[in-house]
Amino acid sequence: MRDKRMTMFNMLRGAAAIALALGVGAIFIFLSSDEPLTALRYLLIGPIVSFRDSGVSFNAQYLFQIFAGMIPITFTGLAVCVMFSANQFNLAAEGCVLAGGFVGGILGVYLNINSGWHAVVCVLVATVVGGLIMLIPALLKVKLGSSEMVTSLMLNFIILYIAMHYLNFHFADRSKGSTMTYPFKPTAIIPSLVPGNSKMTVGIIVALLATVLIAFFMYRTRWGYSIRMIGINESFSLYSGMKVGSTIVLAQVIGGMLAGMGGSLEVLGRYQTYLWRDLPGYGWVGITIAILAKNNPAFVPLAAFFIAYLNKGCLLMSTYCDVPVEMIDIIQAAIFLFFAAEQFMSGFRQKLVVKTTREDLMKLETQRRLEGGSNNA
Amino acid sequence: MLSLLQSLFKPDFLFAVLRITAPILFATLAAVVAERAGVVNIGLEGMMMITALFGFLFSYWTQSWVLGVLGAIMVGVLLGLMMGFFALKLKTDIILAGIAINMLGAGGTIFMLNMFTGLRGNTGNLVSPNLLIPTIQIPLINKIPILGEILSGHAVLTYVAFLCVFLVWILIYKTPIGLNIRAVGENPDAASSVGVSVLKIKYIAIGISGGLAGLGGAFMSMYYSQGWNSGMVAGRGFIALAAQAMGRGEPVGAMLSSLLFGLAQALRTKVSGLQGVSSFLVSMIPYAATLLGLVAYSISLKRKARKHVIKVVKN
Repeated sequence: MRDKRMTMFNMLRGAAAIALALGVGAIFIFLSSDEPLTALRYLLIGPIVSFRDSGVSFNAQYLFQIFAGMIPITFTGLAVCVMFSANQFNLAAEGCVLAGGFVGGILGVYLNINSGWHAVVCVLVATVVGGLIMLIPALLKVKLGSSEMVTSLMLNFIILYIAMHYLNFHFADRSKGSTMTYPFKPTAIIPSLVPGNSKMTVGIIVALLATVLIAFFMYRTRWGYSIRMIGINESFSLYSGMKVGSTIVLAQVIGGMLAGMGGSLEVLGRYQTYLWRDLPGYGWVGITIAILAKNNPAFVPLAAFFIAYLNKGCLLMSTYCDVPVEMIDIIQAAIFLFFAAEQFMSGFRQKLVVKTTREDLMKLETQRRLEGGSNNA
Repeated sequence: MLSLLQSLFKPDFLFAVLRITAPILFATLAAVVAERAGVVNIGLEGMMMITALFGFLFSYWTQSWVLGVLGAIMVGVLLGLMMGFFALKLKTDIILAGIAINMLGAGGTIFMLNMFTGLRGNTGNLVSPNLLIPTIQIPLINKIPILGEILSGHAVLTYVAFLCVFLVWILIYKTPIGLNIRAVGENPDAASSVGVSVLKIKYIAIGISGGLAGLGGAFMSMYYSQGWNSGMVAGRGFIALAAQAMGRGEPVGAMLSSLLFGLAQALRTKVSGLQGVSSFLVSMIPYAATLLGLVAYSISLKRKARKHVIKVVKN
């Protein structure tokens, strides 16, 4: 009874937080748009349907695009889940996505492997690079006690400028108007799963596989247990003999590997050349997803779907209406604030707990009375 | 190389260092006040973006830069209190609340600029000189040969920034509120046991922190980059967190480390003018310097801790 009610309450609370966030979004839409209802329609149901004169019809291509949008953010979501589970506020997933995409992209242009292994090698190297980068904040934290938050934030900018330097001075295709590399070799491109231009590539399968692996790792292995334990109580973990230092490093390296892999799958799957000239923002979205999934890897794809859906909705809204695409940031910030709020709706929870306890006591009372009655007889 | 070295000892370079330091100093002081009350204000970056936008908008609407600056401070305080409400009342993790503010700062500002003015990404043609923070010549000092060139002729807020170092020092060490802030930051349970309202003090600290960030934001849009644009703050809020750590949460330490980062940034502008230097690697200087500075600071801290242990053991 109690557990069931609490699960119900948690689900209700999550739904209320999301509804509130969307409500905040709606307020801004009404404030900024001349045709708010059309805009809302695009945001809420636009991502999976197409509007025609004859009415509304389901659009499979749109759904594939949402799945495509899930690829990078599932990876960063998982990365953040693992790192935040160990209580490591490492924010360099952002930089690792860029580094992974850059390394994967460059290998996709210059490596000569004439088979499907080309793409595999690109992605794996990007994965390793992501992991190596995360060693920096992780080791600084463990060896010197520097805040991983600040070092990882600085690292993002450093990675960006190093990648930009090499892109501009070594790998740029000068025949193009804007800065980009030469096109990827066909063998390096991640193949699409469905016909059409949705960019739903094999990457989504890899993302789901990674989810299963990470969920298994976090909940069914010794290392995963240590990571979660350290997140809950670091001193306790230390005194109970866990290798806290190496586990903290491990969590961040895994985070970096996931982000690097996601970046390379995104770059090689979505584009023909490497052309990111700014941090792509997937690392921050990963934090939103980790919050929505409550740091549980198993829920990451669901949360990623939700965010990809909203993203698509905001894109449509800015294309067909007068609402800027940055709406998504406002909604995300609201989700951040309400969904992560422990005390949100705490009054209601309090009432629920009181009610449940009262009911339990009543039941006990009647039971005892019944038993007492039978004894007397 | 020689010409570079020569240019570093010219007054205009040191003038630039002070100008570039000012917004970082505001943000660092904001981080100091929050940190002393035990609050990690990672939302500084977003606060500066948002206050920069509103500072400029207020000054545009009222056609008065003073009201613009005051508006920016007000918005900063409100943002701080909002962050406090979510973190302290609703118990959102303070770091997540800060990141939410940063998201609002990154995308929400572009949205709001569009909503209020219909412009995209920057304030463009709204900018006119009377909306910007004026510079002032300090009498007497501007007559001194080299020193005058360095110290005189800055924007009003540049002087305010350095004045704020003193004010924050007074606030923290010489006022009852400052005493409470320190008590709450060092040991909230002890503070609460002697009747200090921990919550209230934290709200006050984070509100002041927001107000200081507002000054930094106003400086950015109303003087430094002469108008608002979406990539304007460029990690200064994050650098401030590092500067706060290196300054050990002391106002004067904060000023010194801010000056260091200001120097790194000024160096970047000087070096990027040279031939054959990659502008991208030069852009990296402030962030790399921050990272290295933080590492050096951590090493020194570690050494000190070890020495302390040895001393204790010997005794």
